[in-house]
Amino acid sequence: MAATCEPNQNPWLSHSVRIAGITREIPGVLTLDLEFEDSARAATWAFRPGQFTMLYVPGVGESAISISGDAADTGRIRQTIRDAGNVTHSLTGLPIGATIGLRGPFGSSWPVDECRGRDVILVAGGIGLAPLRPVIYHMLHHRQQYQELTLIVGARDPALLLYPGEFEHWRTQGLNIIPTVDHADESWRGGVGVVTTVLERLWLRSPAETMLMTCGPEVMMWYTMQTALGRGIPAGSLFLSMERNMNCAIALCGHCQFGPYFLCREGPVFRFEQLRSILRIDDL
Amino acid sequence: MTESAAVPGIVAPAMNSGDSSDFIGNRRPESFLLRDDLQLLMRRLQEDGYTIVGPKVDQDAIVYGELTGVSDLPQGWTDQQQPGKYRLVPRDDQRMFGYVPGPHSWKQFLFPPSAIVATAQRVGSSWQMSTQDEPAPRYAFLGVRSCELSAIAIQDKVFLGGAFVDPHYEQRRDAVLLIAVNCTQAAPVCFCTSMKTGPRCQSGFDLALTEIDTGFLVEIGSERGRLLVEALPLRPAVSEEIRAGERGRADAERQVTKQMNTEGLHDLLLEQLKSPHWETVAERCLSCTNCTMVCPTCFCSSVTEVSDLSGDRVQRERQWDSCFNVDFSRVNGIPSRDSISSRYRQWLTHKLATWQDQFGTSGCVGCGRCITWCPPGIDLTEEVRTLRQLAESPQLTAAIGETASSSLPPNTAPQNTTEGRG
Amino acid sequence: MTLDAPNLLKMLASTRFAEGLTHQDLQSLGRAARLLEVPAGHVLFREGQREDAVFVVFSGHVRLSMKVPGRGDITILTAGPGDLVGWSGLISDGIMTATATTTDFCRLLALSSTQLKQSCDADPQLGYVLMKRLAQVISRRLVATRIQLLDVFAERRNHS
Ligand SMILES: Cc1cc2nc3c(=O)[nH]c(=O)nc-3n(C[C@H](O)[C@H](O)[C@H](O)COP(=O)(O)OP(=O)(O)OC[C@H]3O[C@@H](n4cnc5c(N)ncnc54)[C@H](O)[C@@H]3O)c2cc1C
Ligand code: SF4
Ligand code: SF4
Repeated sequence: MAATCEPNQNPWLSHSVRIAGITREIPGVLTLDLEFEDSARAATWAFRPGQFTMLYVPGVGESAISISGDAADTGRIRQTIRDAGNVTHSLTGLPIGATIGLRGPFGSSWPVDECRGRDVILVAGGIGLAPLRPVIYHMLHHRQQYQELTLIVGARDPALLLYPGEFEHWRTQGLNIIPTVDHADESWRGGVGVVTTVLERLWLRSPAETMLMTCGPEVMMWYTMQTALGRGIPAGSLFLSMERNMNCAIALCGHCQFGPYFLCREGPVFRFEQLRSILRIDDL
Repeated sequence: MTESAAVPGIVAPAMNSGDSSDFIGNRRPESFLLRDDLQLLMRRLQEDGYTIVGPKVDQDAIVYGELTGVSDLPQGWTDQQQPGKYRLVPRDDQRMFGYVPGPHSWKQFLFPPSAIVATAQRVGSSWQMSTQDEPAPRYAFLGVRSCELSAIAIQDKVFLGGAFVDPHYEQRRDAVLLIAVNCTQAAPVCFCTSMKTGPRCQSGFDLALTEIDTGFLVEIGSERGRLLVEALPLRPAVSEEIRAGERGRADAERQVTKQMNTEGLHDLLLEQLKSPHWETVAERCLSCTNCTMVCPTCFCSSVTEVSDLSGDRVQRERQWDSCFNVDFSRVNGIPSRDSISSRYRQWLTHKLATWQDQFGTSGCVGCGRCITWCPPGIDLTEEVRTLRQLAESPQLTAAIGETASSSLPPNTAPQNTTEGRG
Repeated sequence: MTLDAPNLLKMLASTRFAEGLTHQDLQSLGRAARLLEVPAGHVLFREGQREDAVFVVFSGHVRLSMKVPGRGDITILTAGPGDLVGWSGLISDGIMTATATTTDFCRLLALSSTQLKQSCDADPQLGYVLMKRLAQVISRRLVATRIQLLDVFAERRNHS
């Protein structure tokens, strides 16, 4: 299920994309709208929710960045970037009109098809909502194919919740959104507490018929999995997206290995069962 | 070494022994190439446009490099190897391939230590990105050992067997001609028989030679190999030569004394991920990366940016990297294998266990390089033996755990790894 | 706000807190329970004050907060359906460690600590079951607090 970067092409080739729009999200995080300079490449571009690309700033380097936009939106690629280090700092400092390189899309994807007919819970922490946003778009476009849809989204404080401007629209389209933060003052109307606390008391129609996807810090994902299992959701219905530094994204460089997996090839999205035995082994 | 490749005192055997139809098992009959005629083979390769790469003496070791002729070969040299030690020593005969592989492997030619994978050129306010598509060299490898043929087959799976094919490796690999040489001796670090990779070359070569005092028994392994020898003065080997070759190959087989029990090794190692033994190895390992550099199958690399002075032209340069480097693997910018024990564990379990999951083969061919070139002489076969013993005896594991925990707090929270970093 | 006993029991039985309790246990609990329906902004108890009731949230949310000098009223947790709040009354002197304010319309079951403790003393079997349940609640709260303490969303930045 791996390769969707065009076959028969040198996988090291970056395609030129132009920054067509910039949305400032929260401090240090923004979303770029990218457009291919080559219309032929634009015409064949497609991705599945959960996949990522390698964004390239010549002279600085490449970073793995998830696609956070709508797969149905064929004209542009949206990616949400947090200024964390060299490349991401450079990516978040470019003006509209600048050209960067893009390889991909790469990696595995969220099980949006497997989720049909079921209840779906998304648990996102911090910028972990970015790779899940394409799932939200997809499921809301095909709302009738799914049963209960819930998004539990956690952040450090209310000002650090990602994409709050879209919550209202998503709610009207049938997504139950439960934001929860670690700290807040009296003005905050949402919940305070960790995502697992919310998951703990979430009403479940039928745990056996529920699928859960999570993305966020590893500790958060681990406890989310434990809580979900405790609530009776089968291990085979739990999915998570992992992060390790990536260099080539084509399973040739060895950096993103985690146990038997290349995160860029078998991941970043895994079924919990694949990782269960190795996720909590120190320094693996 | 002198120019003369002729060996005094050695007389070519008579050609009329009449037993040229000797078959060894189901193998093709071997032909014979006189020692002096090896240069004809090399000349032929050069005429065909090949760059010949093979063994030569350099910096007190037998390494692989470009050869201009027979005189470059390490004739009359051999080596002594043991854990952590390598010594070049003269032979008392004039064999050209009378050595066991040294620090180099053929991977440095198929997967160069440094290569430009892509470039970017500033054009106005934008960037033009392309890949380096210059023609790859056409190599003829001379002197490939059986374990090395296996190593190449393993890297084929890595670079060519997945959804994404590495174009650099592919071009070089497609063009390469492989002239194997069967081992007629082995070092104490060799364990190819355990890994079922040698010492006899079975397949994957164009030609396979077996060196005897008078010359070479030649086995043809491909159509390319057949065409190559067509123009050479080969004659059918006589039984005496065939027997000499058999003796040499049997010597090698007998000299492989090191063994590694691979039975159930995959599961065994993965069940030992929490073993205290990794800490014990870490007390000796320097994390110097030598083992990964000399290993003929290790493939890790990193791409870095190399800009010209103006910053308008950028080359993306891929260089060998190693899982023993502390920031090789990171989670959210923090090294995920901060301890030497975790890095040694990653290396060993990858070689011998998870490689199976990834590529359907072991990542080790039993060449012993990582044993010889490890400064403190850590021997993976010994580590595997210990881990096996520990797996079979939980009491032993507990005992080690206690000694390890007295010096190193196991399982401590990650605070000590993050301090002073973020 | 009164509810006949069978309905109150049914409500209690449907909460996560009561999951797996026997009918008999439920009846003992039910005797100490009363239904509370309050609008948003209602203060159930205040930090530092004595409160006899333990609340099981049936619907709606309750904000638990603490006064921090110089920082005002800091929310530490939002409790929701199935959660137990005010349990310090069950295990100590009943002095509340936080302030509980409803954030929306809430239906709660208020259980008298005094009465519960009496029932437990009289029926050690019930006491054991109840304390075990309480221990689960506290341990879950502890894990959540730990995750919160790990500050997993903390951002590190390091530019060279
Ligand atoms: C599959 C995948 C998807 C990803 N998706 C996204 C995404 O959608 N948006 C996004 O912003 N990032 C994403 N990341 C993370 C992103 O790839 C890294 O943050 C980025 O590569 C860091 O590179 P850099 O050159 O900016 O930092 P470097 O210069 O390599 O790092 C310098 C320093 O920055 C800090 N740092 C680096 N990376 C991180 C990190 N991830 N978290 C915290 N601190 C860090 C460390 O202190 C580090 O020492 C993803 C990663 C993967 C593997
Ligand atoms: S792991 Fe050691 S013995 Fe095995 S192939 Fe690599 S260098 Fe040779
Ligand atoms: S095992 Fe030996 S060669 Fe490998 S990193 Fe450790 S010290 Fe270096």
